[in-house]
This record gives sequence, C-alpha cells and structure tokens, in this order.
Amino acid sequence: MKSKVIAALILAVSLITADFCPVSAASENEKAITLRICNWEEYIDQGEWDEDEVIDLESGDIIGRNSMIEDFENWYYETYGTRVKVEYSTFGTNEDLYNMLTIGDVYDLVCPSEYMIMKLMADDMVQPLSDEFFDPEVETNYYVKGVSPYIKNIFETHDINGVTWDRCAAGYMWGITGFVYNPEAVSEEDASTWKLLENPAYRRQVTIKDNVRDAYFAAVGALKSDLLTSEEFKNRDDYKEALQAEMNDVSPETVDKAQHYLQQIKDNLYSFETDSGKSDMITGKVVANYQWSGDAVYAMDQAEEDDFCLNFAAPKECTNIYFDGWVMLKKGIAQDPAKQKAAEAFINFISRPDNVIRNMYYIGYSSVISGGDDGRVFEYLDWNYGADDDEDVTEYPVGYFFSGDPEDEDYVLTVPSQQLKRQLAAQYPSADVIRRASIMIYFDQAQSEIINRMWIRVRCFNILSVPVWAWIALLFVIAAGVIFYLRRKAAKESMYT
Amino acid sequence: MRFSRKTLGIPYAVFLLLFVVAPLLVLFFYAFTNGQGQFTLRNLTDFFTDPNTLGTLFYSFALALTTTALCLILAYPTAYILTTGRFKKNTVLIMIFIMPMWINFSLRITALKEILGLIEGNLAFYPFINSVIGMTYDFLPFMILPIYNTLAKMDGSLIEAAKDLGANDRYAFLRITLPLSVPGVISGISMVLLPAMTNYVVLDMLYNSTYIMGSLIGSYFSAYNWNGGSMIALILLGIICIINILNDDDKGETTRTGGALL
Repeated sequence: MKSKVIAALILAVSLITADFCPVSAASENEKAITLRICNWEEYIDQGEWDEDEVIDLESGDIIGRNSMIEDFENWYYETYGTRVKVEYSTFGTNEDLYNMLTIGDVYDLVCPSEYMIMKLMADDMVQPLSDEFFDPEVETNYYVKGVSPYIKNIFETHDINGVTWDRCAAGYMWGITGFVYNPEAVSEEDASTWKLLENPAYRRQVTIKDNVRDAYFAAVGALKSDLLTSEEFKNRDDYKEALQAEMNDVSPETVDKAQHYLQQIKDNLYSFETDSGKSDMITGKVVANYQWSGDAVYAMDQAEEDDFCLNFAAPKECTNIYFDGWVMLKKGIAQDPAKQKAAEAFINFISRPDNVIRNMYYIGYSSVISGGDDGRVFEYLDWNYGADDDEDVTEYPVGYFFSGDPEDEDYVLTVPSQQLKRQLAAQYPSADVIRRASIMIYFDQAQSEIINRMWIRVRCFNILSVPVWAWIALLFVIAAGVIFYLRRKAAKESMYT
Repeated sequence: MRFSRKTLGIPYAVFLLLFVVAPLLVLFFYAFTNGQGQFTLRNLTDFFTDPNTLGTLFYSFALALTTTALCLILAYPTAYILTTGRFKKNTVLIMIFIMPMWINFSLRITALKEILGLIEGNLAFYPFINSVIGMTYDFLPFMILPIYNTLAKMDGSLIEAAKDLGANDRYAFLRITLPLSVPGVISGISMVLLPAMTNYVVLDMLYNSTYIMGSLIGSYFSAYNWNGGSMIALILLGIICIINILNDDDKGETTRTGGALL
C-alpha cells in the first residue's frame, strides 16, 4: 500500500518536471551551448537606459538598451552561428564564491578579485586561456588588443607557482582604496593618510570596510606610516618591490601590532560596515569612509544629485590596487572546446570599447581596457570629465594607463581642477598615486589562519575584560533561575504527595 | 488499499529527514573532524580555551538576557491589560501588537535606526543599548503572544474564588494570576532568549561591531573554517537543548498542577 503511494508520488513528480524541461529550446538548435557565468552583484550593464541617458561621443552614440548578457547571446549567434545560453548568477564576496565552488556549484566563467584568482590558480582549479585568445591578428580578440599596457604589465609580472596571471586570467575592472570624505568636516590633509582611522578629532565618525584584508592593509599602512612616507624609502631603487613587501608583511610581530592597532581604533571608529558605508556618507551620518574607488565614485555621484559634495583621497603612505578578473574553471569547461570558445568570446565581447564604456557608465568602476587603437575609451573619459567652459582647469595626464608612458601628450585630459579630488581621482588615479599603489597578494593557508585569528580577536569581546559587576550580575541571574526552578519542582512534588 | 493515518506523515518525515536530520549529521561530522576529515576534539577545546570565543558567548548571553528582561517588563503588563475585561475590543488591540510582525524585519530596523539617530545623534556611542532596543523591538510580539494566551485561557472564577475568600487584588494577582501565567512567561523567554543570541543582522544594521554567536559562526565560514564554525553551531544547539529540556519538564508538570488545582 505504501509503495503504491510512493509510486504515485514519483509519477506525479516526474510529470511535473517533464513539463518544465526545455524540450523546445533543445530541439530548436541542438548545438546550443550553456555558459554558466558568476559575477559580482551589480557588476555588469543591465540595459534599459532612459532615452536621454545616451553617451553621445563624437564617434557615435552609445546606449544600453538590452542587458549585456542578451547582447552577447545575439552577437555570438551573428558572429559564430551558434547559440549560446548564458546562465548568469552573482556572488557577494570572494569568500562566498569560493565556498560556493567548494560545496559543488559548477560555473564556467567567474570574476573574483586578484587574490582569489591566485588562490584558485594555486588550487589548480583554473583552465588556462587558449593561445588563440592572445592572437592580436584576430578581429574579435578585443581583450588582447585593448587591454591597458599598465594592467598588462602587472598581469605579466605577477605569478603564482611560476604561472603568470595573464595565462589564466583576463582583467575586468580595477581600482584603488582610499577615503571618501566630506570636505566640510575633514581637511584634505587629514583624509590623505591611513592615520585618519586613529584621529581623535573624528571619533566615532569614520567607517571602515568589514573584511579582514582591507582592514589589515589599512592597519599596516597606518603602523608603517613613518617608514612609508620617508624620503629615503620613497627614493629607493626597488621602491615598488619594497613597498609591496612591506604591505604584505604577515610576520607574527606585524600581525600582533595590527591586532592591537585595530582593537584600539575599533573604539575610535563609527563601525565596520559591509554595505552601509556609501549611504551613510551620503546621508551625512559619517564624515569619512574607507572605500573602494568604484563605490567611492558611486557615493560622490549620488551626493552630487543631492547638491552635496564629497571628495576622495588616496592615502599618502600607499594605496591598495585591486583587480577583478575573469577566469575559466576546469570543472565547468571540462575540456569542451566549444564551451571554452564561448567563454573566451564573452571576455572579448565585454572588452569591446563600446561595451566597456557601457559597463563603466553603469557600475562606476574603471575597466582594465584602454582600447588600444580604438580611441573611444579615452573619448569617453573626456566626455565624462573634460572641462566645458570652467575657468579653473588643470591638465591631467593618464598616459600611464593608455599608452604605458606617463608623459604621453596624446593622453592628457583638461579637467576642472576640482576633479583632482573627486570622481576622476578615484576612477583614474594620478600617476603619482599609482606609483605608491601596492597589490595585496593572497596568503597561503598558514598565513590566512594567522590573519583570520587576529580578526576574530579584534571583533570578539574578550572575556578577560568583563568587569566584576557583570560577573556578579550574571551569577545572580543564574542563581535566581536555579532557585526558581528548584522551588517550583519542590512545590509540585509536595502537591502530589 | 488501506490509507492509514501514518501515510499522512510521510511528506513531513521526508522534509524532516532532508532538511533537519541530514544537515545535523553533516554538522556533527564537521564539528568533530579537522580539515582532513580526521576525528578531533580540537574544535571543542579551542572554543573553551580562547578568551575571545568565550567572551563572545558571554557578550551574546548578556545581550540576550537584557533583551529578554526588557521584553518581559514590557510584555507582561501589556498582555495583562489586554486580557482584563476593560478592553472589550481586544482583538483590535492584539492586531496592533501583531501588526509590526507583518512588516519586513529589515525595514523595521531601518526605521528604528532613523528614530534612534534622531534621539542619540551619533549611534556609534551606544552600540550595546542600541542592539538591545533593536532586538526588543524585533522580538516583543514573541513575548506578548504566549503570555497573552495563557492569561486569556486562565479561568476567571479562580480569582473570584480568591476574592470571595478575602484576598485583595494584589494578593490575588500574586498568588493566582502570576503563578498560573508562568508557562506563558517561560515559553516567551525561550522564544526570545535563544534567537537573540544569534540574530547578528540587528547588530550589523545598528553599527555594533562586536561579534555575537551568529556573526562568529559566519566569520569562521568565510575563513573556510567549516569545522570550527560547525562546532560553535553545535555548542549553541547544546545550550538550546539544555534550556528546552528544563522548559519542557516544567511545562508538562504545570499542566498537571493546573489540573490538580482545578
């Protein structure tokens, strides 16, 4: 009898699922490739712009009508004659993504930050890019033709276990960290140092990112402030390498110092924030916020809409330069050349200058694509930031990014002077800021454990600091509970006897 | 075909097996193994030897106790007033108290944040108090309802009898109403105390940067330490079990006592 019920249930379930099976899609084109992409939330153009939101460059208008994903599916069919179905999902943090992958979720193409790319590479989970992807002769290889020489150099000179980043990862967006601040409350000088976090003048008015890596970087930057800003250190021949070594220092002494520092500033800060930082800046709850440049741009844009001015400053000691990049996963691609081709085509499609501009406009971060021979990215920058008829203008060279030569006169923007402290300074930092930018590498398991332990110590309440009166109060409560329980029990027992 | 009553239980049994028993087994497995899958008690000893994890337990407990006490102080008089005869339209009043539960929780806390901001100015100066207020706001209905239910079901003739025998209002309340409402109070406490120890979203939203048990587990997981996190979850489960055992024990006997009284 039971088995009949179960059989009926199974039948019912199979009927329901059969209904939902996309039979029609499969029969239409049997070769349809499914591409499973996992990206950050709110990190790609979703389309549906208003008519007046068009970016009217001299070389032609750019507007996002469909979502980037839809455009890619159509473009792929037109270009290669094969249908691709993109299954697009999102993740919240690099750690979430890693956990999703270890639990068993399978994706073909993901977009984590540089340290997570390094971790995935070290775990041998990444499918290297094909040789064809790097062939600049191929018309549709927009990535390799357009990637900024500055970014290209970083990707080629950093490696994990002997494999350089560029073999496995294609950049997407990049940026630096710094402070968004309210110029009416905080002076530029105060905001231009990591020591802002410990500054008693802004007690309980500054927020910091709630993740161990960003917090650790800030703490090390503040602790080593004197060394990092000394002329002697800055003029070293191996300044870049020395800076990176100092900022990635996870020796027990430094971790210990950073822990004490963070414990101290915890009392001086408004809070550690996960996503309230931007809105708290805009509403004026806090006067400064340790922020990633893309989100800083967003905050400044939003504030401007409310006729409220926010500035951005990169700390004078050093700033953290970060990248998000596309990597293909071995488990998803599974040696399927058609799938790999589609994944690489996706990277190329979103690296096409007009799509780059759409994404940048939509999300506020800076793309790693400078455009190569295609001048539209620079044109967009000029469209976005160029001075119209302002009186106070400044020349702003961005050659380091576009041609690799900081002095290149072809890539100099003429911008309103205030932009040197605003969106432009966050989206395309000056060559001077870039000089003191350091990458934060991934820490191996032993190092991560030390750092995470430190973080728990910072965030947790230490039982040794519980005041005596609190212990007494707790004991009192427990004793009262026990007495109450025993008395009730005794009362009941006496009732039955 | 015989369709027994047991058959009706199958869907829930499947649900229970898939979403309660299976995850619990996984939790146990993780809690007592290390990263390589070998048996170890280190996760347990680590928790009880680290002053920071113990501190978190203390902090969560202090926060939850204060919240519960505040809820009780607010809820008991409310429930009592609602059950007394003077409020004939008490269904409407009850609705007013339950209505906040229908509004999305994070929306309510966001609203509370703005109100507190108006009063305090800078929220960062009173993280503990703010968290207690937030949690009280969140959990108050869970305390009112069980107390209201026990008080509403209470036989009014008992109080009349007490008064006939010469007890004044205060004495009748202390000797009849209060003892008879204890089961409601206890179930209210268990519905507030335990969630309050882990509901870290309230702390996050009200800018309290100190971890409680919930956020501590989260931080272990985001550091890929599934084993340590599982152990903490298991310890919490243990605490919940102990409180529930005491509670159940008490409840069962109270009903019997109630019967005996009547």
